[in-house]
Amino acid sequence: MSYDIDLSDLERDALTELVNIGVSRSAASLRKMVGEQVLLSVPSVEVMSRKAAATLVGEREADQLVAVQQTFEGVFAGRALLIFPEASSLELVRAVAGDELSGEDLIDIENEALAETGNVVLNGCLATMANMLQRSLTMSLPQVLRGDGALLFAAREESDREGLVLFLYINFSIRHRDIRGYIAMLMDVPSLAALKQLIRSFIERVTAESEAGTSSAASG
Amino acid sequence: MTIPNPHISEPLREAHRAGGPVLAALLRSDTAAAILDLRAPHRPVLAVNAAMEALTDTAKGALVGQGTDTLWLPGTRSDTLVRLGHALDGGPAADGEVPGLRHGVAGTPLKVFIAPFGTEAAFAIATFTPLESRAAATEAQLTAATERLRLTLDVAGSAGSWDWDIRARRLTADDRFAALYGLDPEQAASGLPQSVFFSVIHPQDRPRIQMAVAGIVEGAELFSKEFRVRAPDGSWRWVHARGRSHPDEAGEPIRFTGILVDITDQKRISERLRIAQTAGGIGTFEYVEGFGTATVSRQFCELLGLHTASVLPVKTINALVCAGHVFLADAHADGGERSASIETRIRRADDGEVRWLARRGEFVEDAETDGVRFVGVVYDITETKLAEAYLQNLNETLEERVEQRTQERDRVWSLSRDLFATCAMDGTIRQANPAWLDMLGYAPGEIVGTRLEVLVHDEDRAGLKDHYASLRKGFATHDLDVRFRHRDGSDRWINWTLTPETEVFHGIGRDVSQRKVLEDQLRQAQKMEAVGQLTGGIAHDFNNLLTGIIGSLDLMQTRMAQGRHDTLERYAKAAMTSANRAAALTHRLLAFARRQPLDPKPVNANQLVTSMEELLRRTMAENIRLELVTSGGLWLTLCDPHQLESAILNLAINARDAMPDGGVLTIETANAHLDSAYAAAQTDVEPGQYVAICVSDTGTGMPADIIAQAFDPFFTTKPIGQGTGLGLSMVYGFAKQSQGHVRIYSEVGQGTTLKIYLPRYHGDVEAEAAHGGLGDIRRADSGETVLVVEDEPVVRALILDVLEDQGYTVLEAVDGPSGLKILESARRIDLLVTDVGLPGINGRQLADYARSFRPSLKILFITGYAENAAIASGFLDPGMEMITKPFAVEALATRIRRMIESSPVGS
Repeated sequence: MSYDIDLSDLERDALTELVNIGVSRSAASLRKMVGEQVLLSVPSVEVMSRKAAATLVGEREADQLVAVQQTFEGVFAGRALLIFPEASSLELVRAVAGDELSGEDLIDIENEALAETGNVVLNGCLATMANMLQRSLTMSLPQVLRGDGALLFAAREESDREGLVLFLYINFSIRHRDIRGYIAMLMDVPSLAALKQLIRSFIERVTAESEAGTSSAASG
Repeated sequence: MTIPNPHISEPLREAHRAGGPVLAALLRSDTAAAILDLRAPHRPVLAVNAAMEALTDTAKGALVGQGTDTLWLPGTRSDTLVRLGHALDGGPAADGEVPGLRHGVAGTPLKVFIAPFGTEAAFAIATFTPLESRAAATEAQLTAATERLRLTLDVAGSAGSWDWDIRARRLTADDRFAALYGLDPEQAASGLPQSVFFSVIHPQDRPRIQMAVAGIVEGAELFSKEFRVRAPDGSWRWVHARGRSHPDEAGEPIRFTGILVDITDQKRISERLRIAQTAGGIGTFEYVEGFGTATVSRQFCELLGLHTASVLPVKTINALVCAGHVFLADAHADGGERSASIETRIRRADDGEVRWLARRGEFVEDAETDGVRFVGVVYDITETKLAEAYLQNLNETLEERVEQRTQERDRVWSLSRDLFATCAMDGTIRQANPAWLDMLGYAPGEIVGTRLEVLVHDEDRAGLKDHYASLRKGFATHDLDVRFRHRDGSDRWINWTLTPETEVFHGIGRDVSQRKVLEDQLRQAQKMEAVGQLTGGIAHDFNNLLTGIIGSLDLMQTRMAQGRHDTLERYAKAAMTSANRAAALTHRLLAFARRQPLDPKPVNANQLVTSMEELLRRTMAENIRLELVTSGGLWLTLCDPHQLESAILNLAINARDAMPDGGVLTIETANAHLDSAYAAAQTDVEPGQYVAICVSDTGTGMPADIIAQAFDPFFTTKPIGQGTGLGLSMVYGFAKQSQGHVRIYSEVGQGTTLKIYLPRYHGDVEAEAAHGGLGDIRRADSGETVLVVEDEPVVRALILDVLEDQGYTVLEAVDGPSGLKILESARRIDLLVTDVGLPGINGRQLADYARSFRPSLKILFITGYAENAAIASGFLDPGMEMITKPFAVEALATRIRRMIESSPVGS
């Protein structure tokens, strides 16, 4: 059985916007947590194999990686990872927990803070996407992983092996701190096909609304 | 209120009624106006007001009755005409610009407004306003707006800004935005429907932007998009819109604000840069020393086989550099020598291929960090490097090869057993190899500087020196055998190959002494074998013949002793037959040796062949048919007819033996002209006219290897005892001696043809003197004296007996000197008969000497053995003749008689 999972340019744009909406919601939640202006944006989205995703992260990040992982189930299922270079992750923890913490304290709470931050970002992101797509998803508890790209993207089960990675590069901007990270959603092919279907209906809806708006404006 | 006027037409009255006071007021205003009748064709003018007449500068009533469409000049925009046309058709009121009126201020653009009125829109009012005046009126406003724009631009840089009220679905924008979008600044400032935002976006970009705006409306915070908009002048401009949403307290987005920047130029430049990078395969990158990341271009990533990114860790970049090579993003912060231009090897991340990259660029002071920023490019130089490496390899191996060759040459030089030498053109030895010591006993050092020929055997020296000249002319010498003297005094045969080069010649000499010795031995052995075979054969034949002669003479003696004279003649005949056969045998031997004394005469080959017919038939077996084909008009040839007969007989016998099962023997004569081309293809053949005698058989034929040996002496295919092997070689010898030649054509199973070519003779056949018995010869007159010089006593006695029988006075001498004495005496001598081969002084010398004081002396040479010059015409002067041994007694007597009777010499 073959699935149509190649995203067109427009579909990719639509998906980028969906994720943008999602991370914006997350940013709002983060903002409440850190009490500071938090901006999140997603410049690009790519669908690639696990291996490609692992090498891509490996190329771009020379440091060890830290990731918060959550699995999700629903109309599409898989696991979501919020990935930071180690340096960025500490910076993030500092931003969330406050600059006054000592290094030791920071390390004590690092995992906890990361899990919480990851939960906010991923949950916000996925929930919003599901909402936008008018579907619902169930999320597991967050889990912190450390390692290189290959480890993070390693297949958990046999069924995962064929899976693809929806790879999003995100920029965090927290009160002059430059933190970069990635969101990766590992999904199997049927899930991606389902997602693509949902994206298409989202595009139809949006363009229809816009066209309607345009024509009413022209006549008014 | 209407004023009845007799000039006012009924339709106008009707119009005034329909228009009422408003129309009246309008007509009295300063606005130029005309009332039009929409019911009549061409919508004629019913009336114009004073302002209209002033505008058009026409007399009162001049425009009345004219068609509406003749009022203004052509060139009105078609859409305006359509709208105005609709109005004139009774449709909605319309306005528009016209280029000007036909009258008055013609050419001044006007704004026209047409509004139908009355029942069923029977009439229309048209007003005309010059645009200039309107422009003048709004000039102040415009100036203000421009000023506002200028101020906006000043404040916002080149960016226009917008503010989108999401709930009200309205968009307000500043002047700069309005200018980019081609909007009315005032309207933009006061608010427009939100759809205006998409109105001028390029259709290809529109869905993407719609999607992004939808994202904002749905809750996305940030907006950053590039897209194309159509500027008021119709061109497409690239803009970058960057914005964000503003949520209310509940978190719902209520406003969407942002700025719009014209990035067309930037885009063009970056597009050019992108194309330059792609087309040239040049990747750009920059980094600040000490920082962990580098900004890279797409092409840079492709060159390194990395996923496309705009920022990469320096570590990632340098990790691809092969061990031992310079890092692409190196950090020489220690102040050491820094080279912006480097070449390095990398292993591409994607396919693992190793490539050469060149980095070029500049180190500049970084304003932000006080560090050093490297800005540069990389490009692939693998092909160049490969070519370089190939060339270098070629160079290196060339040297290596040259060295190897040199070594090889050196080894050959020092190890060879052949002599190697390099000599100046005069033969001075410059270099010699160690083989000289072994072969000739001289160490190379001893002979350098010596002339080559000094070491050569006296007899060969001149020969060697002759070759120097041709070497100087650039010709190499091969296979030159020269004897060199060993230090111990012995000679060595050296076979030389000499090759000239500009100033010197190189020589390679091989010791062939052994070969020479073997050759000599072989030659000697062959000679001895040949002599043995020949002497054996001759001895055998002679023994047979001698048996016959001795036996007959023995019997004759016995019979004479018994007094039985009746049978003597039989034995004498038998002895004579055997002796004649012995004479024929020696003749053949001499013919083979090409030393037979030939007695060439003009010969008609046809006659000769025909005369042989009977003999040939008898010789042939029953089953062989003989055919004679004689050519008409055959030339004469000059040869010894007896030898020719003998040759033909020889060939016929060979032919017979080649046809054991029978066949056809053909003897043919023909004239032949051998041209120079034919002659050139043969050796020892002069071009010219020849008489050819062909003997062909239909026998077994000969393979090529047999043909090659056919003329060799003693070569025979016949069983031992059946042939001497002298047949063909005798034919060959005869032909050659007669300045002719022999060709052999043969094919196995087909037969053989032998052709004897003899030179043409231009002259007549001499009448043959008739032979008779000794008794028929006229006896000598008294006193006729003959001197006989012959060292062989038996022959001398025989000749004396014959001559005395014939009545001559005979003097005899046993050798040259004693003969000379007699010649020097004053005695009468009519004829000198002398053997050629005499001890002390030979017959020829004797004759020459005798002629010096007896110039008219007639001389008859007797010889059994013709020296080389025997047949040469120069040998026999007039009055000299020759007779060959063995000769018949009567032949001698006849010849002597003829010579004595012939006219004196010199008369």
